[in-house]
Amino acid sequence: MKLPPFRLYHPHSVEEASRLLTELGDDATAYCGGTELLLAMKLGLTTYEHLVDLKRVDGLRGVADGSGGLLRIGAATTHHEVETSAAVRARYPEMSMMISHVANVRVRSVGTLGGNLCFADPHSDPASFLMAVGATLECQRDGQVRRIPAAGFLTGLYETALAPGELLTAVELPARPDHTGLSHRRMKLTERPAVTVTAQITMRGNAVAEARLIVGSVGIMPLAADATALFGATAADFAPRSASCAGQAAADCAPLPDGEASPDYLRHLVTVYAREALEEAFAAAAA
Amino acid sequence: MNAVGQSVERADGRLKLAGQAEYTGDIRLPGMLYGAILHSQAGHARITSISTAAAEKAEGVVAILTAEDLSDLDPYYGHALRDRPIVALGKVRFAGEPVAVVAAESQAAADAAVAYIDVEYEELPVAASLDQALAEDAPLVHDQVARPGASHGLGDLPDAEGNICYSYSFRRGDVDGAFADASVVVEGEYTFPAVYQYSMETHTTIAHWRGGELTLWSSCQHPFLVRQEIAGLFGLPLDLVQVIVPFLGGGFGSKSYTKMEPLTAAIARKAGRPVRILNSVNESMITTRRHNMKCRMRTAAAADGTLLGRSAEAWMDTGAYADNGPRVTATAGDAAPGPYRWRAVESAAHCVYTNTSPSGSYRAFGATHLQWIGESQLDEVARRLSMDRLEIRRRNLLRPGEEVRPGGKPLDADLIGDVEKAAAEVGWSDSSADVYPRAPEAAPRGRHRRGRGVSVGLLAAGAQPVSMATVRMGPDGSVTVLVGTTELGQGARTVMAQIAAGVLNSPVSKVVMRGTDTRYTPYDRSTGASRSTTVAGLAVQRAAQSVLDALLETATVKLETPPGLLRTAEGRIEDQGGRSITHGELVRARFGFDGGELIGHGRVQPEGGSGSYAEGPVFWEVCVAAVEAEVDMETGVITVLRTSTVADVGKAINPQLVARQDEGALLQGLGNALFEEMHFAPDGMVLNDTLLDYRIPAFEDMPASMTCTIVENGDGPGPFGAKGCGEGALAAVPAAIVNALADAGVPMNALPLTPERVWRRIQELKIS
Repeated sequence: MKLPPFRLYHPHSVEEASRLLTELGDDATAYCGGTELLLAMKLGLTTYEHLVDLKRVDGLRGVADGSGGLLRIGAATTHHEVETSAAVRARYPEMSMMISHVANVRVRSVGTLGGNLCFADPHSDPASFLMAVGATLECQRDGQVRRIPAAGFLTGLYETALAPGELLTAVELPARPDHTGLSHRRMKLTERPAVTVTAQITMRGNAVAEARLIVGSVGIMPLAADATALFGATAADFAPRSASCAGQAAADCAPLPDGEASPDYLRHLVTVYAREALEEAFAAAAA
Repeated sequence: MNAVGQSVERADGRLKLAGQAEYTGDIRLPGMLYGAILHSQAGHARITSISTAAAEKAEGVVAILTAEDLSDLDPYYGHALRDRPIVALGKVRFAGEPVAVVAAESQAAADAAVAYIDVEYEELPVAASLDQALAEDAPLVHDQVARPGASHGLGDLPDAEGNICYSYSFRRGDVDGAFADASVVVEGEYTFPAVYQYSMETHTTIAHWRGGELTLWSSCQHPFLVRQEIAGLFGLPLDLVQVIVPFLGGGFGSKSYTKMEPLTAAIARKAGRPVRILNSVNESMITTRRHNMKCRMRTAAAADGTLLGRSAEAWMDTGAYADNGPRVTATAGDAAPGPYRWRAVESAAHCVYTNTSPSGSYRAFGATHLQWIGESQLDEVARRLSMDRLEIRRRNLLRPGEEVRPGGKPLDADLIGDVEKAAAEVGWSDSSADVYPRAPEAAPRGRHRRGRGVSVGLLAAGAQPVSMATVRMGPDGSVTVLVGTTELGQGARTVMAQIAAGVLNSPVSKVVMRGTDTRYTPYDRSTGASRSTTVAGLAVQRAAQSVLDALLETATVKLETPPGLLRTAEGRIEDQGGRSITHGELVRARFGFDGGELIGHGRVQPEGGSGSYAEGPVFWEVCVAAVEAEVDMETGVITVLRTSTVADVGKAINPQLVARQDEGALLQGLGNALFEEMHFAPDGMVLNDTLLDYRIPAFEDMPASMTCTIVENGDGPGPFGAKGCGEGALAAVPAAIVNALADAGVPMNALPLTPERVWRRIQELKIS
């Protein structure tokens, strides 16, 4: 239960960090807040001889208003910085609220948004949330930039779409469409969330034009539930249609073994929280 | 202003906030080695071979300890039962048991070398649960009966039977007759989980042998009992074992009695250099835990709500070694009747060995195990009789002066007053939904249902009342208090200083108490059982009084005034005419030069009788709480909205510390009630041995409203009428939560009240 020895590198640019990671190969990994990585290393769950610290890399930190209503968050921005950012609060107040429940204040003050995504722990609030809002993840390697939709970033248990030597540099939230409601629900049984559900609904007139429902923390990766049944729903029939959609999401998810909760119960929670999230998002969108 | 009764600032607060308080883990001795333990991977096995050859060659390794190194000793220890070898001897009895210890030049070297030790096991059948250990063909965890330990305090130990290492029982009155006459009988089976007594500082010990003398720095609550046990193990006179106790970062019972000290002393003996053992959280978790339990209970009452009979039997899982299990078991047995008047009562409690990590003390042990069961049965009686839950308690609660158990101390608290105060603080009213029978329209309905609950219990407190103290006053009037109570965070150093300052009327800033060094600090039995303020504090009061007597004696001469006409003022003695002389002047006057000191001694020992548990307790600690809680019927999630606890302390020496103690116990009670539970694999290995997977209460779990009512009836045996506190809320809060939940419509019979367990219960009982 003690941290094994490792060598720490302090690159100052994305290019330098990327090059270091490529050169050092499998024995190296990127490190920023360390709230998940160092813990896993202490527990002997993973080992790396080389840690490439991204905290001093230029341009990885901070929140900026992009063109056309885009919100750009540097990958090394801490949870606390995201939570308290005026830009985030103005564009996506639900994100501030969501982040305020991540782990605890000590973790939020050093842990980063990008770190949370890259570590790819199945129990993650931001992962569900960013998929629901249709965020894009900006990644860089060898000076090449590519953009991956949040829905395609996580590829497995502790696995992402990042290529060797590639860094996540920023998270971009799209301009929020008009008449859009968002709701994030979470429940924890131990330190990490057992269930996270995010719903986003956009209205056109009095009917649902678009709906997304993401169920996270239950299975290996967040599940983009089938919410097409909600398209066209109005206040008159939203409740039964959302209940049915929530039930389908629960049936479609594949709960990981969990010492604190049975698969049955986790599915039941998905039903409850998905319905709540959908209803809250609908009410917000309709308001 | 006299220091007693004031919420003076903690003596150690600034030091701790500044990171300057020294804990055992901060100490670096010259030449000190770092220890690492090889823990058994098997739950129950014979050790067929241990090879340390490869590990010995590893970089930085100085010594490796195995049972072979203990052949010159009788290596078994245990204050209750001498059942535990310093390291596994021929056999391992739980997954995690120390098999070997490496001492190396660095922690990293020691940790690395452990992996090179090769142990071969021949696996034996495992009894990893109470049911497995109590089965007829159960594997025996111990195949020999252990000798009694040096300080079990249990009188003659009954014979062990199978995996039951100790049983405690009593029967008073005609139990069958009481049940036969009853209008209502409530009965049930209940389970209580294994709980980790988390503290921020893990168990830490440094051992240093010099010329046949042993010095230990240890995060221990009971340094004098550790000294006694270590001296016995290593065949040393008490005086050659020195135990030094720096600050502790919490204990809660997990650092009571002997824990890592025997193993640390043994590896240091082999290494010939000082060695430090510092547990990680997962190691502390398998060092000691709270007993999980199963219990059957029945309660009988007459139609008018008069309680008639209670019958209880409990099985306490003490793990592979007894530790304090027998005492915990006896206390659980004693808690079965609760603080009520019965026509007849019987209780039996059994301490059971299993192949799991050992269980010991944890704040309010025994009472926490049983109070929620007894109190929930009482509420069920009230429900069936359509009777108000406060009224049934008023009718049956013992009153001050009534006998709690035959031959023991009569009740010394106003329980009815206490529970009424607690209930009022959560909005309990005589005309509302709280009163049974409840009007149909007042019954909880909908998704979120609220209920209220109260609970009342007693905890035998004080342990053996043996404590000594010395108070020294120097020629500048400054005062040092020497007393063996351990500062665990509860504020003992602050309170002891206040007591001495209160007697002497010294400014509290001029009085200091430091940590224990058994070589210089007078004997104190232990820090636990809420005894410090009451028992050690009384010794301090007496020691300070002796110094005051000397001051008055000198003042009588200097002021040419008889003692009866003198009085204390802050830092001085004055006569009625306003002439005064400072403490420092009096000390200097007594010795005729600018030096010397006044030394006073204080002693507390049993008055009549032996001070045994059966004759006690020193006082009855009150365990009273009321709770308002809400249950989400869809998810089973419980939200505790309001809590109210009562610290019935006789006299609050420091009211703020009393309230903080109560709140700390309350929060641990929330954890025990709502989510804390150690899970064991089929081989007895702890599954959730990190704080990621084992949830402890945090600030986010605090109820929106918490009220602590301090009751000061001056009815305690301690200094200024004080009696101890700080444990009662841990026993009372889970019981009040269970009762609030039943009031909301969801009766529970197992803790913790995890959302899934509550949700399943709602489905099982088809509550709509």
